Amino acid sequence: MIVFRDVCLVYPNGVHALTDISLTVARGEFLFLVGSSGQGKSSLLKCINREARPTEGEVVIEDQSLADLRPRDIPFLRRKVGVVFQDFKLLYQKTVWENVAYALQVTGASSRDVMRRVPRTLELVGIAHKSKMFPHELSGGEQQRTAIARSLVNNPLILLCDEPTGNLDPETSSEIMALLARINAKGTTMIVATHNQAIVDRMRRRVVRLVNGRIARDEERGRYHVGLG
Amino acid sequence: MLDWGRVRFFWAEVAQNFTRNITMALTSIGTIAILIVLLGIFLFLRTSFDIVMKNFVGQVAIAVYLRDDAKGSDIDALVRDAKADPRIDNVQFVSKKQAFKKLRQTLRGQFNLNYINTNPLPNAIIIHTALPTDVPPVAGDMQNKPGVAVVNFGSGVTEKLLRAETLFSAIGAAIIALLFISTSLIMYNTIRLTVFARQREIRIMQLVGATGWTVRWPFIFEGIVSGLLGALLGLFALQLAYRTFAPKLIVNLPFIPFNITSVPLHHLAVELILAGVLVGMLSSLLSVSRYLQNA
Repeated sequence: MIVFRDVCLVYPNGVHALTDISLTVARGEFLFLVGSSGQGKSSLLKCINREARPTEGEVVIEDQSLADLRPRDIPFLRRKVGVVFQDFKLLYQKTVWENVAYALQVTGASSRDVMRRVPRTLELVGIAHKSKMFPHELSGGEQQRTAIARSLVNNPLILLCDEPTGNLDPETSSEIMALLARINAKGTTMIVATHNQAIVDRMRRRVVRLVNGRIARDEERGRYHVGLG
Repeated sequence: MLDWGRVRFFWAEVAQNFTRNITMALTSIGTIAILIVLLGIFLFLRTSFDIVMKNFVGQVAIAVYLRDDAKGSDIDALVRDAKADPRIDNVQFVSKKQAFKKLRQTLRGQFNLNYINTNPLPNAIIIHTALPTDVPPVAGDMQNKPGVAVVNFGSGVTEKLLRAETLFSAIGAAIIALLFISTSLIMYNTIRLTVFARQREIRIMQLVGATGWTVRWPFIFEGIVSGLLGALLGLFALQLAYRTFAPKLIVNLPFIPFNITSVPLHHLAVELILAGVLVGMLSSLLSVSRYLQNA
């Protein structure tokens, strides 16, 4: 479970990114964060994996307050919280297999674990047949699948997706969202920040709209805009 | 059990740091090589100076000249006390007779001492201290003892040499510190560029939950390897210079009061390699830690 209690986030340059955010996301829930650019979606995600630290209030993940987290404990939090980005953030000199293995190798996994978990995750995201290819040889959708595999390979409890379909065509976007829904169905809590109205409206999951860093709307089985359909 | 897969991954990361920015890696190695050459020349000179000092000061003896009217018991007490003093290595009583005999031998062929009817030389005690620095205080102690006329220990020369040695060591320490600081700064900035070149990997590492040390180690090893290669390159240059110039020095400067080949080069080489590795390691550690702190 993820709990935001009266969270405010002001960046060192004085920008108020989040104001009085109180939000609870149940374990295994699927939540869309919507809102136009600069409304605080990415900042909210950053508070969950401690890339940003709230200036007020607290974020609690699985009964652990992130305010109490020592800097040396942050890596262990991040192993429980996967992140997927719009620009994939892949390593272009590494193959698909190596990109996914990298997430395990840098967290100290044994080679046996790497050999066991990488193929399984590649299979799950449907990219196993391209495991020896380099990112530049893949389509956008395939690159995003690779990025999702990398964030999944550590078996995170939570997956944060920041505009995961922002660089993809509508058809590929649908495939990626279907993949995320499948991953969520296996029990991973999913928070997806998106501008993709069509997908939000089609999937009808919980929708939280941010405006000027505040929660403007929180709706079960919601749509991108209020009052449509 | 050693996990070779992990070892391979780790070294691949280190190798990637090198190959990603080969110019920077070469700059690091070159900078350390220059440090090692300068440091090597300096350490060679210092060691040579130490050897000269040790040879010279080691030969300095304290000559305690006794009064002609000194009692036998006073002389015995002086010798006994000197032998009991832990600072003193060797004590030798030289009688008037022995001193005159020695003078005759020394001046044979130069002066005819047969014309001197009386022996003008006093009884003496010759003292060698264990440490050169103990010469002045031991001489001072002897001066006030009963039966002693004059104490001679090359006063002035010994003290000046000891002062010169202290000054040389202080200047040397300052030069070494400056060399270390300047080389470390160059290394620090070079590694920083490598760190910037790998920002993307570092960010991904942090996002997937790599600890700070997992991020640091490849850079620290890059520093160690740069330090080692730089030190070996510097040593190679020094060895070349030594082989070229040492024989010429021996021939052209025969008055140098020490054997140039007696400088312990292997010992110096180990010191220089350690210095290179240390500079490489520490500057990398500082550089990557600073980056992570601000990231």
